[in-house]
Amino acid sequence: MLKNLHLKLPSFKITPWIVWLGFLGLLLMAALVGGILVFWNGLWITNLTDLVPWGLWITIDLSSIALSAGAFTLCAAVYLIGLKRYQPIARTATFVGLIGYTMAMLALLLDIGRPDRFWHAIVYWNEHSLMWEVTMCVVLYLTVLVFESMPIFAGFDWFKKRFPKVAGWMSHLHHYAPYLAIAGLFLSMLHQSSLGAMYGVIKARPFWFKPEMSVLFMYSAIVGGISLTLFASMLSARLTPKARINDGLIERVSYFVAWALVGYLYFRFWDALAQNYTYQPGRTEGLHLLTGGSLSFNFWAGEILLGTLVPMILLLTPSTRKHPFWRMVALGLVVGGVVAFRWDTNISGLLMVISYLPGQPTVAYTSYRPSLIEFITGSGVIAYGLLAFSFGVKYLRVVDHRFAEEPETVKMKSVETVPV
Amino acid sequence: MTKPIKRRDFLKVAAVGAAAVAASRAIQKANASEGVESGPNQWVMVIDQSKCIGCGYCTLACQSHNDINPDIQWNRVMAAGEVDGKDVFLPRPCMQCAKAPCVEVCPVNASYYRPDGIVMMDYDRCIGCRYCEVACPYQARSFNWKAFDGTNPAVPKWGQPEVARRPRGVVEKCAFCYQRIDRGLALGLQPGVDADATPACVVACPTGARVFGDLNDPNSNVSKLLKQNVSYRLRDDLGTGPRVYYLPANAEKMEG
Repeated sequence: MLKNLHLKLPSFKITPWIVWLGFLGLLLMAALVGGILVFWNGLWITNLTDLVPWGLWITIDLSSIALSAGAFTLCAAVYLIGLKRYQPIARTATFVGLIGYTMAMLALLLDIGRPDRFWHAIVYWNEHSLMWEVTMCVVLYLTVLVFESMPIFAGFDWFKKRFPKVAGWMSHLHHYAPYLAIAGLFLSMLHQSSLGAMYGVIKARPFWFKPEMSVLFMYSAIVGGISLTLFASMLSARLTPKARINDGLIERVSYFVAWALVGYLYFRFWDALAQNYTYQPGRTEGLHLLTGGSLSFNFWAGEILLGTLVPMILLLTPSTRKHPFWRMVALGLVVGGVVAFRWDTNISGLLMVISYLPGQPTVAYTSYRPSLIEFITGSGVIAYGLLAFSFGVKYLRVVDHRFAEEPETVKMKSVETVPV
Repeated sequence: MTKPIKRRDFLKVAAVGAAAVAASRAIQKANASEGVESGPNQWVMVIDQSKCIGCGYCTLACQSHNDINPDIQWNRVMAAGEVDGKDVFLPRPCMQCAKAPCVEVCPVNASYYRPDGIVMMDYDRCIGCRYCEVACPYQARSFNWKAFDGTNPAVPKWGQPEVARRPRGVVEKCAFCYQRIDRGLALGLQPGVDADATPACVVACPTGARVFGDLNDPNSNVSKLLKQNVSYRLRDDLGTGPRVYYLPANAEKMEG
């Protein structure tokens, strides 16, 4: 009789996937509580001040936009330059980009004082403001990314079965990829460089007031964006059979990253050392901050050694570049280096307070350390990105280098004979 | 024989042409100040450092008339060294720059120029991005980190609030008590001469260190003072064109 009462429990096994989801879920829950606290109380519960009004959140925002740059670079390479064989990587990059830009939006919503008025920049234009330009470009580019990733979402099995017609339209958008790539290239180059120019035009802060800010921001975004896409692809291929990579393809692109890093090292050194090797109030102090002050570890270890030199050598040396593990380490380090660059750039300019009293301006230093609530909400934004990418790998096959595009129809005139 | 233009080439030329027209239109107005006609009045403030004794009455009057959160000061008075053993002070309102970095960088036009030169804030439009705060060389802008819903300690002793309190999450700043100027002009008063039409800090100053008036009027107090004295402006090297002028401290003119 007892046997008849035996209930059928659904089989539930703790897999690494479940643990991973649980971990991200916890981070997201904590961030949700943190976010509600921020919106309820206002920004005074952060460690931001009138002297350092931009901190950890803006770094997450800048970094996620920079690391999304793989999308426009690879889409341009595939659809405009014609390097067709990299199409599967461009597909991953597009998805990474979509996640990155939504992450940036989330971080910005936390950061601005009146999130309820986020739409004002779209309605009230100040075409003289770089921030306005960046906002417009980001909104428009996010739209482009949504269109670009439509064919990816169309591949979702459940969706394909439930709405076959819509899925058909969505995957048809693939035919417009070259046009979307042009729009993406235009908008991305504009706002990736403008994010640097946003700092570069601020005359009140001499350490930022440099024309090369926009060049450096765009250059580092291209290097970091491609690296993140490759790193994420390789990592997912190690962790799940759902992700299939073409290692040779990734190696080729990594070789490009290696030489791009050589250029980046030159530019960054020239920017940090040569441009500031002078005396102008604020400039020299900024250089000290990077080379010997509170940001020196970040600069020397994070940006130069681990962020540029080590991956450059690892990727230039054929034996380590061909070795998947070392290649992955190198690509991961590049991503870290770009984040360190964004953090250093933002914070170095803010930490120096330049006097406006008559006479030669003097420089004082202030300090900033993100508060717990900033860390919790910030890691929630990152957890959202990881979760979205994980779902993409599992259900949308965003990392699948065997992925075949729908065959292109060859148009030819009826009078012509089919070439044999 | 001329080659017919291909469609592709035509499109290329058209795109370049359109981009050039768009760029030239953007460059025509290199900054936002050029979009604003200057009006008949150009308000400026002259601060005589020989007369300023650092009492801070101006700050208190400002706090009450503009109903400012005690955590924030629109008008700060700072010690600025000494001359012949006498302390010198530097009061700092908003400079109302002619080429204000804050106006140029605002993504939503919440900061704007009035024809009379005052740099205004639209508190209903500000999104609280704090770019203006980062851009201002004078630290004249403050963010409302916290909601101000308590009582204002400066009220009623130093005056009654004349403007609405700013909400949490927007940046705020001094605007030369525009509300007093506008109301005064409507009543036929003369700003800088009649107390009711003059910024509260100028009225509150016990030593007359602050003078307010119209730079377009050659007979105004400010025009005369600037003609007769040496003056300077803060961080003139930045090219912001401040509308606050300082007369440097002169030990002979100072008391004790």
